[in-house]
Amino acid sequence: MATPALALEGVGVNRADIPVVHDVSLDAAPGAVTVILGANGAGKTTLMDGIAGLAPVKSGTIRLGDRSIEKLAPYKRARAGLGYVEQARTTFRTLTVEQNLLVAQQGEGDLGTVYKLFPELDKRRTLQAGYLSGGEQQMVVLGRALVSAPKVVLIDEMSLGLAPLVVRRLMTTVGELAGMGIAVVLIEQFANLALDVGTRAYVLRKGGVVYSGPCADLRGDEERLHRLYFGGPPLTAADRDAGAAESEQ
Amino acid sequence: MVNSVVAGLTSGGGYALLGLCVVLTYRLVAVVNFAMTAVGAMGAFVMVSLTDKGLNVWLALVVGALSAALLSGLLGAALVRWFSGHRERTKAAVTVALYVALTAIGLRLFGGTSTGAHRFPNPFGDPVFTVGGVVVPQSVLVSLAFALLITLAVGLLLTRTRLGLKLQALSERPSTAEVVGIPAPLLAVGVWSGVGAITMLVIVLVAPRLGGDFSTLAGLISTALAVAMVGAFRSLPLTLAGGLILGCLEGVSSSLDAIQKYQGVVPFLVILVLLWWRSRREVWDTAHSR
Repeated sequence: MATPALALEGVGVNRADIPVVHDVSLDAAPGAVTVILGANGAGKTTLMDGIAGLAPVKSGTIRLGDRSIEKLAPYKRARAGLGYVEQARTTFRTLTVEQNLLVAQQGEGDLGTVYKLFPELDKRRTLQAGYLSGGEQQMVVLGRALVSAPKVVLIDEMSLGLAPLVVRRLMTTVGELAGMGIAVVLIEQFANLALDVGTRAYVLRKGGVVYSGPCADLRGDEERLHRLYFGGPPLTAADRDAGAAESEQ
Repeated sequence: MVNSVVAGLTSGGGYALLGLCVVLTYRLVAVVNFAMTAVGAMGAFVMVSLTDKGLNVWLALVVGALSAALLSGLLGAALVRWFSGHRERTKAAVTVALYVALTAIGLRLFGGTSTGAHRFPNPFGDPVFTVGGVVVPQSVLVSLAFALLITLAVGLLLTRTRLGLKLQALSERPSTAEVVGIPAPLLAVGVWSGVGAITMLVIVLVAPRLGGDFSTLAGLISTALAVAMVGAFRSLPLTLAGGLILGCLEGVSSSLDAIQKYQGVVPFLVILVLLWWRSRREVWDTAHSR
């Protein structure tokens, strides 16, 4: 495997002083989509917030390329090459589409690339983001991450509240981001859609990793996913190993 | 009476600026800053203490403005560091506490109403022209020009520059602004510092007319909040208009013997009327939603 663009080692993250994520280690390779799955409350968003700097990392290390970032302020992590597409379509509603992109533009980030990827936005450059449809707002947020010239993009539940057709369109774009050499870390409620574009998957349960392996091994295996999400007897050696590691913590 | 209204315009320009500072702090860093005028008064008294010691007025003005900017920046940094995740009301309560503390320190350092009145330099006290017996002093034009300039400059900064866009993004979604690479803490401290310096300059401008004691000048926050309410803590032009109207009202009240002694109540009356006026719509909406 190539040197990971993002590497977590024994990371613990708190939310309101309560430990939510503990001892998570994962790698995200450049040019690939790494999928993080888990039931509601498993700690996926808290983990993302911890990586981005919005929630305090209490233990472990986070490396972005060669650089440790776990002690940096969120804006410094972003400037170091970490893009974050938060849950709930977080556009700056009073700014236009173009202004949303301009405030995030850094280094070699190019607005033209965004408009090429999302021609819908090109036609609405001067429209306030608050007036866009849900799908278009999500495109703005993805575009905003892209113009920051990122090495890694974290994407948290971008399909929330969107029509299936729009979700598929956005999933194609996620693949295209990886095609540009960016390491994408994707949290997604539609597990099979995510596993289709992903290469490596991690499953979180109660804040810890209970599975790490190729996406192909989980693709279409609903029963195994259900067991990984909610617990139950292990079905494979990989699940058994992960379960043993979890019980040791 | 016309003379009083013209004199009121001097204060009106200053009030408009103070209201603008309140609105800017609220819009950009989401804090209703009750300590703002106390910080400005600190800077103004640093300046006047230096001029009392013989320092050149303009140099003392720069030092005073810088000291107000520094103090305001420090308070802003403390709020960013320890209260950024808290609700607006908590942050407002913190600034109330800071107002009380700064006023106490200011009174201790510079004296109270009876003992601490300083003679502020009044470089704009000379008349510019007289129209029909009404003397228009330079200070009216300076304060109006300053208020207009700041309103226009802030409007242009927010809408036409990358920095302004970042400030708008910061005010709308502070945490998202940070994760897209906007240095939110630095910008917030910058806003606090800028507001501190402008407040100090405004206080120096209105001090010769209002009297040079610390508690009066620090207490201008009630006027500033009334003016900000006219602009609904959002609109810069309405805030500007609100300041001028309040200044004129104050001028009128000072010219009428019967109500002169109640002049200080004018800002509170404005606040009450605005609260009542705005609550009418809420009552109407509530009645119709039933």
